[in-house]
Amino acid sequence: MKRFVGLALATLALAAGGTATAQAIPGNPVETVPMTAAPPPLATGGASVGVSLDLAFILDVAGAWYSDTPMEVGGHDPAKTGFNFQALEMSVQSNVDPYFRFVANLALALDGLEIEEAFGQTTSLPWGFQIRAGQMLTRMGRMNTMHPHAWSFVDQSLMIGKFLGADGSRGLGFELSWLAPLPWFVEFVASATDAAGDATARSFLGGGEWNVHGFQDFLYTVGLKQFFPFGREWSLAWGLSGQVGPNATGHGNLTSIYATDLYLRYKPLGSPGRTSLSLTVEGMYRVRQVPQDSLRDWGGYASLVWQFARRWELGGRYEYVSGLPDDPLDPQWTTGRHRGALEASFYPSHFSRLRLQGSCDVPRWQAAPIWGAVLNLELAVGAHGAHVF
Amino acid sequence: MRTRWIVRMTSAAGPMALVCGLMAGTLFLPVLATAKVRVVATLPTLGSVAREIGGERVDVEVLAAPGEDPHFVDARPNLILSLNRADALVVNGLELEAGWLPPLLQSARNGKVQAGAPGFLDASSVVSRLDVPGGPVDRAQGDIHPGGNPHFLYEATSVARVAAAVADLLSRVDPAGAPIYATRGAALVARLDAVGRDAAARVAALPAPRRQVVAYHKSVAYLVRWLGLAEVATIEPRPGIPPDPGHVAKVLSTMKATGANVILQEVYYPRSTSETLARLTGARLVVLPGGAEFDKGESASDHVKEIADLVIRALGSE
Repeated sequence: MKRFVGLALATLALAAGGTATAQAIPGNPVETVPMTAAPPPLATGGASVGVSLDLAFILDVAGAWYSDTPMEVGGHDPAKTGFNFQALEMSVQSNVDPYFRFVANLALALDGLEIEEAFGQTTSLPWGFQIRAGQMLTRMGRMNTMHPHAWSFVDQSLMIGKFLGADGSRGLGFELSWLAPLPWFVEFVASATDAAGDATARSFLGGGEWNVHGFQDFLYTVGLKQFFPFGREWSLAWGLSGQVGPNATGHGNLTSIYATDLYLRYKPLGSPGRTSLSLTVEGMYRVRQVPQDSLRDWGGYASLVWQFARRWELGGRYEYVSGLPDDPLDPQWTTGRHRGALEASFYPSHFSRLRLQGSCDVPRWQAAPIWGAVLNLELAVGAHGAHVF
Repeated sequence: MRTRWIVRMTSAAGPMALVCGLMAGTLFLPVLATAKVRVVATLPTLGSVAREIGGERVDVEVLAAPGEDPHFVDARPNLILSLNRADALVVNGLELEAGWLPPLLQSARNGKVQAGAPGFLDASSVVSRLDVPGGPVDRAQGDIHPGGNPHFLYEATSVARVAAAVADLLSRVDPAGAPIYATRGAALVARLDAVGRDAAARVAALPAPRRQVVAYHKSVAYLVRWLGLAEVATIEPRPGIPPDPGHVAKVLSTMKATGANVILQEVYYPRSTSETLARLTGARLVVLPGGAEFDKGESASDHVKEIADLVIRALGSE
């Protein structure tokens, strides 16, 4: 851990040192020397001064209050009353050469380092193909493909936590995707990753040591992602995805998860001040083969987020995840669980965000609901963050 | 057992063959659709430049809409499709598109338009940049662009330089059309130079106090250089930071002290502060178009001329 922090600081110092090459007074308009002396263009498409690596740190901390012991399901959720260190995410990206891009997302917690993602991605395979290889989030659903700082709400959805894992579905492996040459956006995705991981594949092999004996021991994810633009202001993204892999009950038993996600967004171009309205609906259905039985449960959420001014955003989310009387994974979760949340965000700038979120969690196996209030602070430094749609 | 397996496979073969046929067929769809050079430009003004130079030989697509804030474009997946099929890509650069272009390019699966490829042009690499930070960039100064101010498409000279580079780009990706691109490129450069000289001369004829402006965002630096204006204040206290009452009061007193009589801002910024200042000082608010009206066929030279005319009209009116 210490060695890593040293390395990270050294890298940061290198990047910072690299930017100090131009000679001018900050803020003063200066005529630069002709283009022959201009720095080379950045890999990401911008010409910058002496930087060849996109490096960013994103800090999430929160103060929280809960009326009872909270039952948060995400690895970076504010999971206790008091101060919470949610994560310090470090993102490193760069083109390796004309063929590969390097992407790494590391999460530093108070007790260690977590390699969320570290993969290589092809940039120029023919016929619309693309390969990713390494440690990566699978393209299962919508929320799972995003890092916590890209979420509108401060905590992970119940569905992701229960079905995929506290850190979402991710693992070592490779992925092949294909952009179909059709008039609208159609992408097919297929990946094979490790089926083990307590926080990353809990419906499959989960924690513990597992050996691979054949193709049947991997977790397979397939997806179909489509996008329909309705003019320049309305957007609709629709995904279908599924996972299949072995589970920990042995005897060749499999777990299958089927998911669909819908994202509808309206962003009026003529309104000054960056307003938008986004609706996200996502659901999953899980089937687990266990000795002499088959366990079936489901869950989902719907959220509506309204950015009504340049700096302000309001959002609401409702979630439901069903439960089973004799679930070996979640023995407590015997029946359905509802949760509702409201959030208000204030963006002092593009690089900082203050969020206030209130929630009411209703696990029906408990006598009383759990009320919660979280004030979260998010700060981003380094390279400009770019988010996928 | 074997017969049953064969029957099962045979019944599955029909639909599978259909799917495979469809997939194979779609592979050739783009090839059949057009033989023109497919150019993608991130911003409408860059698209207009490419269309004027490429003429009938090119198909141009633009990623950002004319009235859209180029800092905050949604990375919609249909834009990935455009980039995937492009032969050439023209970007503004200087991190103006840093919030949305990288993930699109990453998913485009097209080596022809990745940074450094012959089909990629970073327009900022050919312009004479302003506001280049003199040391490490500190975001306490606001959303500073480390390579310099990216809003050079408001300046006729810069657009002319970009036009020359776009002609070179098109010649690289379509050598057969090189003579046409060179001719049309030179013509566009000449038109832009003429617009540039004419507008600068009109502003030079105005007395110095009338050449002062206030800007909403730090985006008119190149316009100021081109027209020989003086930018006396910026309504945003720092780039990307919305104005607070204390700063607005300072801008108000600066406007009163200097007599600056024109406020410039883009169509995509909130207007309430600018309108209040205009009301309190009697200044004129000029709302600049965010980019050329590419969809309506506006040319780049007409676009920069329109900007100059809007500003000069406001500067010159009583």
